[in-house]
Amino acid sequence: MDILKDIFTLHLVLSTLRLATPIALIALGETFSERVGIIHVGVEGTAVLGGLVSALVAYFTGNAWLALIAAPLAGGLAGGLHAVWCIRFRANHVVSGIGINILVAGLALFITSSVWGWRGTSTYAPTLNIWYISCAALVIIIASQIFIFRTKWGLRLRVVGEKPEAADTAGINVHRTRYIYTILNGVLCGLAGAFFFNSVGRFTSGMVGGRGFIGIAAMVIGNYSPVGALGAALLFGFIDALQMRLQSFIPSQFSIMLPYLLTVLVLAFFIRRANVPAALGKHYIKQ
Amino acid sequence: MSEFAVEMRGIVKRFPGVVANNDIDFDLKQGEIHGLLGENGAGKTVLMSILYGLYFPDEGQILIDGTAYSHYRPAQAIRLGIGMVHQHFMLVPRLTVAENIMLGQEPAKSGLFLDRETAIRKIEAFSEQYGLPIDPRARVEQLPVSEQQRIEIIKALYRGANTLILDEPTAVLTEQNVEHLAAAMRKLKEEGESTILITHKLREAIGMCDRITVLRKGTVVGTVNAQETSERELAEMMVGRDVVFTIRRSQAKGAPSPTLRVRDVDAKDDRGLPALKKVSLDLRKHEILGIAGVQGNGQAELAEALTGLRPIQSGTIALHDRRLAGKTARDFITAGIAHIPADRHLRGLVMDFSLRENAILGQHRSKPFSPHRFWQSPQAITGFTRDIIEAFGVRTPSAATLARNLSGGNQQRLIIGRELSKDPAVIIASQPTRGLDVGGIEYVHEQLLKMRDRGAAVLLISMDLDEILMVSDRIAVMYDGQIVAIKKPDETGRRELGELMLSGSSPRLQEQENQEA
Repeated sequence: MDILKDIFTLHLVLSTLRLATPIALIALGETFSERVGIIHVGVEGTAVLGGLVSALVAYFTGNAWLALIAAPLAGGLAGGLHAVWCIRFRANHVVSGIGINILVAGLALFITSSVWGWRGTSTYAPTLNIWYISCAALVIIIASQIFIFRTKWGLRLRVVGEKPEAADTAGINVHRTRYIYTILNGVLCGLAGAFFFNSVGRFTSGMVGGRGFIGIAAMVIGNYSPVGALGAALLFGFIDALQMRLQSFIPSQFSIMLPYLLTVLVLAFFIRRANVPAALGKHYIKQ
Repeated sequence: MSEFAVEMRGIVKRFPGVVANNDIDFDLKQGEIHGLLGENGAGKTVLMSILYGLYFPDEGQILIDGTAYSHYRPAQAIRLGIGMVHQHFMLVPRLTVAENIMLGQEPAKSGLFLDRETAIRKIEAFSEQYGLPIDPRARVEQLPVSEQQRIEIIKALYRGANTLILDEPTAVLTEQNVEHLAAAMRKLKEEGESTILITHKLREAIGMCDRITVLRKGTVVGTVNAQETSERELAEMMVGRDVVFTIRRSQAKGAPSPTLRVRDVDAKDDRGLPALKKVSLDLRKHEILGIAGVQGNGQAELAEALTGLRPIQSGTIALHDRRLAGKTARDFITAGIAHIPADRHLRGLVMDFSLRENAILGQHRSKPFSPHRFWQSPQAITGFTRDIIEAFGVRTPSAATLARNLSGGNQQRLIIGRELSKDPAVIIASQPTRGLDVGGIEYVHEQLLKMRDRGAAVLLISMDLDEILMVSDRIAVMYDGQIVAIKKPDETGRRELGELMLSGSSPRLQEQENQEA
């Protein structure tokens, strides 16, 4: 019982919320882009980019707020790049996303070593209290839930991902809609990246550590709804927080596996329920 | 308000290798129901797609309510009051009826939130006014096709359509639902809507329309008042009374003898309903047997049954004395039955494969192409493909070109080349000239006649009565899954065949039967 008391503390609750925040943001971004039919596995790299840009701006300007604004902008740019590949040039969505992951990984090594002289790490720079971002994320998620299911723009974006022909005949611009929400996905991932930077105080190339992919898993488990994604992100956040506590009791090599193991298990059992948009990953070619 | 809701003048639309619309004039009076009648490929849907803004015409002028418009897209067509109910519905199955209908013109509360209740009330009002019962709260995926069609009509009305285009609306409906649709169309007319009904069914055109325009091979044959015409007149207009081609039918060189015997074959269609009912016929060496019939009377299922693609419920199919019923398509191929399928893209070719790969489809296992269990012989395949390209005049940059990149006529030449080079005992040719231009059609006919003279038994299924009359040695008429008559082309004519196709019996036949009785 004493062990349990040591594990389940207020600290664990706060850790859960903290660790869930970036996963929830990424899952929300992916929910938007997949709802309009664009798969984006480059969310991992986009979050890394957000962290890198945060560190750069904070380092050079000394202003943590500017860094917080710059990261989503950079993320939006990466989202826009993905959108151009997938929509304008009809590239395979997954390949384009992997491209972004690799591109950012290379960019991070290049920039860190040329700016700070260390491969893959920055120096410490001014940060913000991460709870600002967590609270903002909560507001954004609830607003998104209302936006997607209760507004006309939400209806339109869902139709674009389900049956673009129907959207087109109703006078909705399919390509423009897809651009907008793919860029929004990038913005949210950039914000997640800023969160990672602010929680550590510096950039390290491994700091996202697969949570972008876990974000995609959370989106699937959340069944393509923002609140569902939040729930799944909280689950992952809790497991992550728990494993950190457990490191005092069991070898860390094992406890660190927990979130990833959970991802595999949950996906294996939940994927059947998934509410996959019918036109996901399909290019829309006007006749 | 102009007298005409729509006027189309001198519309020309060309696609590679085909003139889909050739100088078409069409007008729709305010508040009338105008039927657009024609066989498949006559250009009806293309003309209406032009009106709806899905295609731009190459030439011609479109006036909507008296004002000329050009190069507009569907979004603008909707604003101009034109609504189209596509053959394939534009509905999102997972959303509710109301969401589908209001899409693009959603009422909002405080300018932000979807006002579902207002939309539902509006939809219910339309539903009431036009006598089209629907449940706006249901999910589309749970609804039957007939209700989905009503949703599409209300969707068009909701968007302010005063001109409705219905593309083959009855094709998906049961007899009873066709009645309901007809009633709804009368109601729409009372409410001042103008409607264009695309169809190939004569009775419906006469029953539902005020005027009927008949298209044939991309041109207007004429426009008639529905009350002053008859099914017979329309049928003649549809299939053409002027013989464009000279009949090149020659006497077969050898004597016909039975090759493929078909006895009492029953088969079901894709929906599980009886499509073939005790069909018996003989395909004979040195003979082309033409199958005439209105689309959907079992011809497609017959072709599939005779090539092993569709299982038969009962009956026998035997090539010489080899029983084939119940065997696989592969057995039918090795027995010597070649197939020119009706749908080139679905069954004839793998569109994203090269000509080389397509050329050996079905014989890819045979020795010259696959000399070893694991390896193919690229040289043999390329050589064979080049032979087909040369012998059958396939115009292509190379043997490695993708099938997708050939024109329809050249795709068909490749298929015919492949099938005929097997030196088959039997050839099942379904709509072999569909979508081809005059030169292509002549070529296909020559090839079929050549194979007949070499001793093959040919089954020619065609919607084109001219074609049937021109090349067949015997003509079988299919009606409602049965062979209702077998005629010699010299002893029958378009009129008698037309009667048989439409009703399963001809007056002359009935007379004979009466005399016999």
